[in-house]
Amino acid sequence: MWRIAGHLTRGLAMIWAVTTFTFVLIRLMPGDPVQVQYERLIAQGMTPDQAESATAITYGFVPHGPMWKQYLEYMWGLAHLDLGVSVESQGVPVADRVFGALPWTVLLVLSGILISFLIGVVLGVVAAMRRSTMVGHGLSIAGSLLHGVPPFVIGIVLAALFTRRWRWFPSGGHFNGDEVSPGFYYDFIGDVAYHAVLPAASFAVASYGGWLLAMRSSVASVLGDDFLLAAELRGLRPFMRFRYLARNAILPLFTVLAISFGLVFGGSIFIERIFNYPGLGMLLYQSIGARDFSMMSGAFLLITAAVIVANILADVLYTVIDPRVRRQA
Amino acid sequence: MNMGVTIAGLTVTYGDLPAVKDVSLRLEDGTITGLVGESGSGKSTLALSLLGHGNIASGSVFIDGVGDMSKMDKGALRAVRGAKIGYVFQAAQNSLNPLLTVGKQLLDLAKSHGVRDVRGAHPLLRRMGLDPDRVLNSYQHELSGGMRQRVGIMFALVLNAHVLVLDEPTTALDMITQANILQIVREVHADRGLTTLIVTHDVGVVAEVASRVAVMYGGRIVECGSTKEVLANPRHPYTRGLINAIPRLTGPVDVAKPLPGTPPTLGTIPAVGCVFRARCPIRMDVCSAQEPEMIDDVACHAVGVTAK
Repeated sequence: MWRIAGHLTRGLAMIWAVTTFTFVLIRLMPGDPVQVQYERLIAQGMTPDQAESATAITYGFVPHGPMWKQYLEYMWGLAHLDLGVSVESQGVPVADRVFGALPWTVLLVLSGILISFLIGVVLGVVAAMRRSTMVGHGLSIAGSLLHGVPPFVIGIVLAALFTRRWRWFPSGGHFNGDEVSPGFYYDFIGDVAYHAVLPAASFAVASYGGWLLAMRSSVASVLGDDFLLAAELRGLRPFMRFRYLARNAILPLFTVLAISFGLVFGGSIFIERIFNYPGLGMLLYQSIGARDFSMMSGAFLLITAAVIVANILADVLYTVIDPRVRRQA
Repeated sequence: MNMGVTIAGLTVTYGDLPAVKDVSLRLEDGTITGLVGESGSGKSTLALSLLGHGNIASGSVFIDGVGDMSKMDKGALRAVRGAKIGYVFQAAQNSLNPLLTVGKQLLDLAKSHGVRDVRGAHPLLRRMGLDPDRVLNSYQHELSGGMRQRVGIMFALVLNAHVLVLDEPTTALDMITQANILQIVREVHADRGLTTLIVTHDVGVVAEVASRVAVMYGGRIVECGSTKEVLANPRHPYTRGLINAIPRLTGPVDVAKPLPGTPPTLGTIPAVGCVFRARCPIRMDVCSAQEPEMIDDVACHAVGVTAK
């Protein structure tokens, strides 16, 4: 219990640090949206005074205020779970846009990571068991090669192959709004899955090599453990020995899984851009282009929170699966 | 039940290199045999071959009433291991799955051998001075070294195995625990009428529990016999060296004479001649030309000469 409380405290502190950092960082970027708007209004024929009051109305705050005041206001809003209002699409609450985009990114990231984890772990076991054969060497080499290729390169290749060369999959979007409307029924879910295949596959193909290599070395080290020889000498059935091996070998990978969840979450900006997929990464990309400060802060905040939550979950999960970490209640 | 073990002309190799070469040894039913030797002498390899483990190049390991372990297929071996012959690891080695409780692993053992009732574990653990309920609900990391060793013995015997192989069972334990474990081995051996092989580098352990002893060097058994006789009247120069190297409780320390030189590794064992000749104080010309045969329980040219 105390452990989890500690995690939550540290998580909140981390979120605070990251939001402060991004708050300052964003405002240091060249280009000021309020200024841009202000100049646009003048160009449209307004007087400077009119333009200033019009801008103040649209953004809900007086432009050119001191940064510390903006910061305090922003933090005050955050404490009330208010992420502010979008600068670009005027009047739309950031929270609506960000939480609307979140599920789509979670869908991509989760399915991508789980697929790559499953494939990588299974192939890793095979590579470890057959490590002195051609199959083992081939798997390891393929794993190392793909491990070094960044996801967006895979994404571009997949997009080029399967949406241009062969038109098997749609080149963008999260579902086809003309044919299906959102709801919990077969056609909609099918269409969502159909649109998610390529982006999820990009994550999976790009990261399964890492799992393969990690699992291979983990299995190889557990194979040398005495308890497996002991199990063999006690005449345990082969599938039981395999279960002993697999459970022990997969354990160290769970921490990596949580960390990779965060990394991939951050990397979604490239994949979603390539496949024009309306998730958090795409939103972030657009808001950076438009210098939409509040939207950027909101998206960063959510990504940070996702990474932290993933790490806390991994730690809690670890206490469930590893008795050595479990504490006496 | 009569379950002695006969090892005949056994050679076990790693790659091309023999770790155990042409070993013949009889473990009489109901005896405790000690197998002593330095690190790398092949004693653990020999012990494992009793369970049909390792690359047995030639020879046989015949367990009475069970069969030749060197000729069995995987399925038959699996059925015999754990059920007819039990193996206990060194205390420093973790012979338990760290992620499962002892009780869960006991159930896995039972399931693997088609046994439904493992309540025999309770009296066995109690006999060794452990609280069965506590131990069965514990994970490996919650047990002390001595407890783990007793749990190891429980695993080896719970399915009523009659042949017990202990590989360095007291190494890495403190003196008190060591004495405890040896006491337990002796008692359990007597209670169940086992045939026991205890592998150790400690001549003291052999003196304490074993009625017979075999001395191993460079993958060969160089001398064997009843413990009393071998310890009181060692004939092979290596056995003599081992015994002379033991420090005494009383008297000056330098009475103990270390054996000069180092034991051979797998790669440096001479292919012809006596394996011990490089360290032997009574080396003769014949020693480098010809490997001594086992005559009257000792393999040494010098002993052969004096007997003639």
